Amino acid sequence: MRTTSKMAGIALGTAALVPFMGAGIAQAADGGTMATLRPVALNGVQANGTAMVTVHGNRVDVTMAASGLLPDNPHAAHIHFGAEARHECPRAGDDANGDNHLNTTEGGPAYGDIVVSLTKTGDTSPKSGLAVDRFDTAPGGKINYERGSINVSDAVAQAIVDGKSVVVVHGVDYNKNGKYDGSTKSDLDPKLPTEATDPALCGVLAAAPAGGMDTGAGGTSGSQDDQLMLLGGGLLLAAVGTGTVAARKVRNRG
Amino acid sequence: MLPIRRSGDHRGHLVMVVTVLLALAGCALVLRAFTTPGEPPQPNAAETSAPAHASETAPDPSTTTHLKPTAAKGGSSFGPILQPSPPVALAIPSIGVRTRGIVDLHLDPHGKLEAPTNFDRAGWYADGPTPGEFGPAVIGAHVDSKSGPAVFYRLGSLQKGAAVDVTRKDGSTARFVIDRVARYSKKDFPTAAVYGDTKGRAELRLITCGGAFDRASGHYVDNIVAFAHLTG
Repeated sequence: MRTTSKMAGIALGTAALVPFMGAGIAQAADGGTMATLRPVALNGVQANGTAMVTVHGNRVDVTMAASGLLPDNPHAAHIHFGAEARHECPRAGDDANGDNHLNTTEGGPAYGDIVVSLTKTGDTSPKSGLAVDRFDTAPGGKINYERGSINVSDAVAQAIVDGKSVVVVHGVDYNKNGKYDGSTKSDLDPKLPTEATDPALCGVLAAAPAGGMDTGAGGTSGSQDDQLMLLGGGLLLAAVGTGTVAARKVRNRG
Repeated sequence: MLPIRRSGDHRGHLVMVVTVLLALAGCALVLRAFTTPGEPPQPNAAETSAPAHASETAPDPSTTTHLKPTAAKGGSSFGPILQPSPPVALAIPSIGVRTRGIVDLHLDPHGKLEAPTNFDRAGWYADGPTPGEFGPAVIGAHVDSKSGPAVFYRLGSLQKGAAVDVTRKDGSTARFVIDRVARYSKKDFPTAAVYGDTKGRAELRLITCGGAFDRASGHYVDNIVAFAHLTG
């Protein structure tokens, strides 16, 4: 008898665990994430945006909208991740060379390396990180980007679902002359000015809320009314009972 | 004889007092059951029969057809989008909602969106897009407190096409229009449909509770979700 109940206990325990195990597995390969893109510290870009990345196994779908960027110039955009990175957007304190701007390398400790290049066509691997002819050129300062079925490794898919990857949109016009120029060369490619590759917008891809909300205390639910009714009815019945006793007493006395 | 009689009198009085008290309390409770507002309105059942579970687990078919796997789409398919600014007030004239002082909501340790602690306040998911930005901005509020209706008591009766105005901190008003209202089991909540990609539109989700109230857990078993998009 005791063995039976013990076994039943184990079976029950296992059964209780199964859904969680299932959820764990599903989560590893699947999930919706969202990043609100905000201006990178020190770089002074008056732009904003949102990126949404949906992970289906090793496939990710990306949509991104941003506005306020330098119009009609290529804006390299990537998903960054580094196992050793802080999984966040760079802060003013990351300005290692003290020039009051953050370049892409200085952001590395915050967001890691490029793991996906958000190009409009062709390759999306880190190799296309500076493929300036294939990035959105932000007509009117706006990027409206959609690209589906981008292949990523297990590790990158996991990092995105876990909220450890960061979307970065590059390209800053510090001197506000409408183009990328200046004597400072890019830390990524000396053929480009640093304006072309410095990070403009950044946002951590965080997991979307899981499940619904607990937004009610039941004060107007039917069951509440039923209970009141039941209780009230019970009290009234009791009153009839005691009333009868009282009446009998009065009658007896009379 | 006399002392006994007196004690009998006392007992008779006591029984009568108890009778009156019981009757009064009973009437009060029954009256209350009748006068408390009825159950909150629930959205059309047709909407709720949608296979919520499938949309969460299986890849959304509209995604695969909408997105070309090899090339990004041009910008023209995106709808109007506003600069970010947090919400400060919400008005839904068709169901009499007019609330100010929207509180910030965050995720709890289980990744679930917390509800406002105040039954008289709506809250918005402050780590997501602001209402009017690209993506799904989320505003949640209670359907009821322990004693009566709360901010989103009538959300379930919201109709497609109804206007929702969100006043934002920068003074602007983001006007949304309702696309649909649905009820989902919390057990089978379609996370992707509610919080996922909005395909180039600035959208809004209004969330409250619905369905049966589970007295054991102290929570309703369903959520009512209104889907809206930015107009203009």
